[in-house]
Amino acid sequence: MVSIRRWATPWLFLAPALLVTALIVLLPVANALWLSLHDVVLFRPKVRPFIGLANYVRALGDPVFWESLRHSIVWVVAAVSLQFAVGFAGALLLNRTFAWRGIARALIVVPWALPSVIIGLIWTWMLDFNLGVLNVLGVRLGLLSASVPWLAQLDTAMAGVILAIVWQGFPFFAITLLAGLQAIPDEHYEAAEIDGAGMVQQFWHITVPGLAEVIVTSLLLRMIWVANSLDLILVMTGGGPGTATQTLPLHAFLTAWSGGNYGQGSALAVILTLVLLGIVGIMLWRRRET
Amino acid sequence: MKRRTLIAGAAALGATPLAAPRAQKPVTIRWWYHFDDPKATPDELVATFEKANPGIKIQAENIPWGGGGDYDTRLYTSLIAGNGPDTGMVKFNNLARLMEMEALSPLDKWIDGWAAKSDISADMWRLHAAPDGKRYYMPLQYVVLYLYVRLDLLQKAGVKPPTNFEDFLTAAKATTGGEQWGFGMRGGSGGHDSWMPFVFGTGARPVKGGFVSPQALAQNRYFIDLYRTHKVCPPSAPTDGFLQIVNNLKASRTAMAVHHITTANDMNAAFGDSITAIPVPRGPGNNGFATFGDGSNAVFSASKNQEAAWRWVSWLSEAPNNVLYNKAAGQMTVTTSGAANWTLHPRRFVEATTQSLAIANVLPSVPAAADFTRTAWPQNTQKALLGQIGPDEMMQNFEKLFFG
Repeated sequence: MVSIRRWATPWLFLAPALLVTALIVLLPVANALWLSLHDVVLFRPKVRPFIGLANYVRALGDPVFWESLRHSIVWVVAAVSLQFAVGFAGALLLNRTFAWRGIARALIVVPWALPSVIIGLIWTWMLDFNLGVLNVLGVRLGLLSASVPWLAQLDTAMAGVILAIVWQGFPFFAITLLAGLQAIPDEHYEAAEIDGAGMVQQFWHITVPGLAEVIVTSLLLRMIWVANSLDLILVMTGGGPGTATQTLPLHAFLTAWSGGNYGQGSALAVILTLVLLGIVGIMLWRRRET
Repeated sequence: MKRRTLIAGAAALGATPLAAPRAQKPVTIRWWYHFDDPKATPDELVATFEKANPGIKIQAENIPWGGGGDYDTRLYTSLIAGNGPDTGMVKFNNLARLMEMEALSPLDKWIDGWAAKSDISADMWRLHAAPDGKRYYMPLQYVVLYLYVRLDLLQKAGVKPPTNFEDFLTAAKATTGGEQWGFGMRGGSGGHDSWMPFVFGTGARPVKGGFVSPQALAQNRYFIDLYRTHKVCPPSAPTDGFLQIVNNLKASRTAMAVHHITTANDMNAAFGDSITAIPVPRGPGNNGFATFGDGSNAVFSASKNQEAAWRWVSWLSEAPNNVLYNKAAGQMTVTTSGAANWTLHPRRFVEATTQSLAIANVLPSVPAAADFTRTAWPQNTQKALLGQIGPDEMMQNFEKLFFG
């Protein structure tokens, strides 16, 4: 009796949280899986036949899927690595003592706190060919010979949306890494200095190992968020010009929301989830190995 | 006996007209609408209607538009969930989908007995007929796309407002130079409306085989060449949307653009008589295609109060009410009598609109129409403008999308 109670008590405490998780996470996931195996078209509500893996086969046979996957890889790798680099530099700077540091630490959060739609609109107009401030400044400073339609060209559109998400996301790294930096004891640096270690050596042998856990966790989180995000691209380019900035989640969204094909859209979403799970699994396995 | 007599007497008294009237619970009609201007409201219309129809309450629900996609998807899902409105604003591009859902109630019997039917033109009724010959949509507002022309810029370049495609190209070339372009092409979202007059302007029609007909293919090459070969459009044209084409025209960066009467007051305020509107260019033999921008009401088949819903939507389409409605919507009244005394826009823009009605046309009513306007058109057109696919391949993709 005692052993049953001992076994049941933690489950009873966990039950409310498990129930909420099941309702808001597991149930939609199960529903998405069910939809992906059926021919579900929004405007044909009376006919929803089971079609097995046909949605997956059609998705994988569509050149737009592979193009979107390629764009997703470029989008995630470029956005996360640049956010990390800028955020790390920001964290190192904010960790030093200087006048108005408190204000600088507060202001750096602003891009992170703004809604994606607002950021998308801000950058769309900043990059605008006709009225954009970046074009005006570029031309007046002699950096550009003429205005550039950044978001209307195949070779610059992706860079434009990546620039916007780097601006939005670097504060996350800056704040997270700053917290990690403050947890590294000053004694380590003092001891290294006494032993004759320079700035670069201190950085590689104290700062980076001291931040390793924070770096891995923040990279993992940000990678998942960026891979899933579509709002910024939707607002700035809608995936265009053509499909030059269309990533996998945007492809799934347009298929389901605009095309009304929820079965196909769900299959694309499930594929994206599996790809992300695979990458996260490999990262965690590698981390455990090292 | 006495008791039976008392009951019978009470029943008889209750049935007499002299008995105190029992308050009837008014029928509530849920109406979904959207206005471009967020400050506009139908409150005044609702109050006037309810005063004239004490048995009907109107619950007007403002639904986010989101380029049409948000509104449509909300409408579909609410109808499927059994929580849809009794009536609501609808567009032609979702007619086929709503028909497939069996969500629409035919309005023919009501329209045929409606006293104000003749105040809506035959062209308007023609455009509002469904593919099965029935009428599910009640005309409410409309625009017809026309060509804005900066008369001062054209005069300076020594050219006249174009009426055909050859003159259009001449005028566009003549007004292009430096930071100014002859034509503000809309390659971004919603641009299909201003593309159709070019592609179907010489006789081709958006019917089976029409997208790949020789006329349509030739005209589409002409359209793409405006950007790629002749360079008479701003370099940002592939992704330019409504704001860009309007702002460019207002900033004198472009000399011509295709839009409709909702921007007429803005243009008039900016340039006065230096800007005008004319019907879109036509091909030889006076063929032409002016895109009809529709706005209608539908009564949904799941409504338990279809008769009351019809009274509301038909009331909205009667001349004085429709004029008042379009004052808020910023579009044109569908009534002939209302248009004759129209004062909400300068006359020349109204005339360009009404003159274009005879050649007004719409996309085919097939389920793919909604996907075409939101996704397929911008993607394929942008690819063609940027040289990723050829203009003929673009048209083949559209033909396949619409007709398989």
